[in-house]
Amino acid sequence: MNARRVAAVFRRIVAQFRRDPRSLALLYIAPLAIIALLGWVLSSAQSNTAHVAVVDESGLPAGAAVATKLEAALDGKPGIVLDRSVADDSTARQMLKDKTLDLVVVIPADFSLQDRKIELLTLGLNPAGEASAIPQVQQALLTAVADNAGAALPTIVRATVYGSPTATQLDSLAPVVVGFFAYFFVFILTGISFLRERIGGTLERLLATPVSRAEIVLGYSLGFGFFATLQVAVVLAFVLGRLEIPALGPVPAFAIGLGVRTVGNPLIAYLLVLVLGIGAVSLGIFLSTFARTELQVLQFIPIVIVPQGLLGGFFWPIEQLPSLLQPVARILPVTYAIDGLRQVMIAGAGLSSPQVLLDLGVLVGIAAVFMALAAATIRREVA
Amino acid sequence: MANYAAPAPAVQAAATLPPATAAPAVEAVALRKDFGPIHAVDGVNMALPPGRIYGLLGPNGSGKTTLIRLLTGLASATSGRARVMGVEMPSRENLARIGYMTQSDGIYPELSVWENLTFFAALYGQTNRADLLKSLELVELDTRTGTPAMQLSGGMRRRLSMACALAHHPAVIFLDEPTVGVDPALRVQFWDHFHRLAADGATLVVSSHVMDEADRCDELLFIRDGHVLATGAPDQLRARAGTDNLETAFLRFATEGATAGSEGAPAERARESER
Repeated sequence: MNARRVAAVFRRIVAQFRRDPRSLALLYIAPLAIIALLGWVLSSAQSNTAHVAVVDESGLPAGAAVATKLEAALDGKPGIVLDRSVADDSTARQMLKDKTLDLVVVIPADFSLQDRKIELLTLGLNPAGEASAIPQVQQALLTAVADNAGAALPTIVRATVYGSPTATQLDSLAPVVVGFFAYFFVFILTGISFLRERIGGTLERLLATPVSRAEIVLGYSLGFGFFATLQVAVVLAFVLGRLEIPALGPVPAFAIGLGVRTVGNPLIAYLLVLVLGIGAVSLGIFLSTFARTELQVLQFIPIVIVPQGLLGGFFWPIEQLPSLLQPVARILPVTYAIDGLRQVMIAGAGLSSPQVLLDLGVLVGIAAVFMALAAATIRREVA
Repeated sequence: MANYAAPAPAVQAAATLPPATAAPAVEAVALRKDFGPIHAVDGVNMALPPGRIYGLLGPNGSGKTTLIRLLTGLASATSGRARVMGVEMPSRENLARIGYMTQSDGIYPELSVWENLTFFAALYGQTNRADLLKSLELVELDTRTGTPAMQLSGGMRRRLSMACALAHHPAVIFLDEPTVGVDPALRVQFWDHFHRLAADGATLVVSSHVMDEADRCDELLFIRDGHVLATGAPDQLRARAGTDNLETAFLRFATEGATAGSEGAPAERARESER
């Protein structure tokens, strides 16, 4: 290993990048734009109001009484707008289709004192999204029942071990987003740069010099690691920081940055992402062997990146995955990065935490395996 | 496919050149490279004494580039051996004494002329600025140090590629089609430069499919279908083929080789030099 040659490869990658404004924009502006968009969507989704109606189809006095009680309980609830004008089930269904109603509580025709069944009706195009108003309705139902029985219900207070129970979705997504972007962009950029070396004849030229494969991989890792490091710094600053800009003339007040709460040490978060990024550099070099064109590098996105997004804990906890997919999730580097970042940023864990050390250790191991694989593919004959 | 072999053995080269008995700078022994059923290099023997310019001549696809890649250790031989300066290839350390100008330019289009040169030179451990500037002067690119390579003309890129291959003063230089796309005036300069390098003791192996360049070489190796058809100084090859045109000579050796069977001239030369 010759440090001068590694430094030469490193300097060359930095010089190449400086002259490539598009890739710089991809690294530094694209993630910020996406995270800002995500933050905006998630924070306004919570102030959504549901338009609700109660319909009595039973024709029984008991049904009508329940309907009245429900309406009384729902009226004025935060996040619920009650529409008292809806007379029957078919009108309600039409209004759901017209999107003038989000949820209809139906006292069905077969309602009886023995079988006190109540139907909650939504449109069904996006069942999960439509269900967001259901907890509020259920709470109203509980209140109505409690009133009927004349007894007070206990109040339920939500608490969590880490973080705050009022943490928004954004707070838990922020660590995930930081790790995932670092991985995705570093993989794409290295894959394409190294493919260019292979097809542009410069790899052949490099291999005709005394530089070793390990020196090339190390130089690449340092070069792209440098840019990935800067990217993580920018993204972390954007996610964690918040700069309030006061209103100025016609421009209303706005804020730059998301101001996500974190309790952990950003440096440890940084270290996790850096090791993840170095693994992505080697993976990019390795997979560039199996591509002949830039388009073929992009074809690796659904194979390499999307599964990590789906299984790595981005959307669902690993424990909730089907049992066959859990072992798959446990070999993906993003899984460990996301877990480590959550431990650090939400639970405030440090390097003394065995969980964080395990995540970091696995990431180092994965990076080492891919570095070896990358080095092994470099002398593969081009002919 | 016909099995071509070289006809009559080569005669001793001109007296002004270093003696052929000197330890060969480049050597191949029964060197062979197969790509599946194709024999790209089919049992080549050669022993090239130092300080001369050797021309690898043959049509496209005759195996010239593969032969150079075997000699530089960039490709692994199916069988046989390659030695440069007495060291068995592939050898990473030995690459520091070898210069290789590839057929494609092999330079980074985003980087400037100076960045390309200093990058490759640094890999060879050559960091002397004044010396590097001098090698840019030789290819007349010293006024263009800051220009990104992608803005250079084809001929300039070729010159930059050559400067990158020569900046570390290699003892053995492989040049794969160095003059393709280079205008005639510059081609003359290239060859003058090659002769200066050879006079300083370097060994040059230049591949080409242009026969009119052959006369500028000290010795030629006619290559076809992975075989060495004939070796010798241009005048000798013309005399032996009974023609004053090298192209005709090449074709004559090719057809003779097809009918005459194997007399194995290059193999004999290799054996001689091993003694």
